[in-house]
Amino acid sequence: MTRPSYENDHEDDHALAGEYVLGTLSLEQRVALEARLPNEPELQKAVMDWEERFLPYTAITTPVPPSDYLWPRIERSLAAREAFAKRGRPASVAPPRPRRLLHSLPLWRGAAGFGLAAALVMGVMLANDVTEPTTPEFMVVLLAPQTQSAGWVVQAANRQEIQLIPLGTFEVPEGKALEFWTKADEWQAPVSLGLVEPGQPIRMRLDQLPPLENNQLFELTLEDETGSPTGLPTGPIEFIGRAVEI
Amino acid sequence: MTDVSSEFDHAAVLAKCANGEHDALHQLYVHEGARILGVVIRIVKDRGMAEDIVHDACLNIWQRADSFDPNKGSARAWIFSVARHLALNAIRYRDREITYDINDPTDVTHDEHFQHAFVVEEAFDWQTGQQMDSCLEELEPERRNCVLHAYVDGLSHGEIAAHTGAPLGTVKAWIKRSLQRLRECMA
Repeated sequence: MTRPSYENDHEDDHALAGEYVLGTLSLEQRVALEARLPNEPELQKAVMDWEERFLPYTAITTPVPPSDYLWPRIERSLAAREAFAKRGRPASVAPPRPRRLLHSLPLWRGAAGFGLAAALVMGVMLANDVTEPTTPEFMVVLLAPQTQSAGWVVQAANRQEIQLIPLGTFEVPEGKALEFWTKADEWQAPVSLGLVEPGQPIRMRLDQLPPLENNQLFELTLEDETGSPTGLPTGPIEFIGRAVEI
Repeated sequence: MTDVSSEFDHAAVLAKCANGEHDALHQLYVHEGARILGVVIRIVKDRGMAEDIVHDACLNIWQRADSFDPNKGSARAWIFSVARHLALNAIRYRDREITYDINDPTDVTHDEHFQHAFVVEEAFDWQTGQQMDSCLEELEPERRNCVLHAYVDGLSHGEIAAHTGAPLGTVKAWIKRSLQRLRECMA
């Protein structure tokens, strides 16, 4: 996918990168820009140039010594992450079994979520408006069922590759983990896409699954730290949403 | 303000993190933790949330250290940017749930009186001795204040408008033009 190099396009990206670093972009604009970054080295450079220009002005703020608990907490998380990496849970395809919970949860249709989805879709389309037409793209906004607030976004550049992007932080209780699931309308049961780290974007290929389809369900449930013991969601749904074809 | 960072080799520390050396992350934390927390607290204005973000930033830095490319910028800028953008994402996420209408069209109309209403005072002690100082110096004080309120305080366009009393449309235009002038000046 190549971007035609119009001069205006470059100017716009420098301006966009500047507002991103300054912090004046909206959440939707920020998510859209961050999604572009991995594939656009020129935009990365524009962002880093602004980071460099403004860095000296971080010295305007007064340093605040962190509490004594912070470093031990970071160390624990680091150790947990390394244990997690060693375990190396690949995306596993669980044996299909019916699951009642998913049918009883039409919560994702909340109006608030759809508003954000529309805004995010617009942001992405604006960001991509000079690219050539590519394969269909999908977008999922994962909402917390109780508060209907958006916690994660799934973006798919094509039907086999998705990116899960956090919109905030999420505190996982001790001994627990977030497990990522998906289920298309015709499937009998959700399939595990593995454990995810709160606050961490993750990119994954869905080679072992049928191509992504419209309305496909995605959810994050709270499971034991080694993942669901049954291969199916057992814990509470923390975030849930369905794919919208862009 | 003095440059306190010159003796610490941020790029070397990132290379060690990429190599899996916990001690390197701890060195970085000891050296920059208080300054990073200071930057983050100023943006999120909540101590607990700020420490959560520094926690996440450290893990992020650890995880992504191997993706740092010294050809694209300095290691210190990269490290601070990780923490700042986590903080900015967190407050923009939080702000979405607060329903004040910053898009109120009546607010965008230009206020002719504003710019002459009072003498604009400097909101920041901003001189750092860096090249960018002379570029910021060339901006009108009220525009410089807008830029620094955004960068240092993490204020949105709407919040800057409320804070300074300038109309929202004016604030947006000032920031856009200021960035353009800063980029030309630094070129």
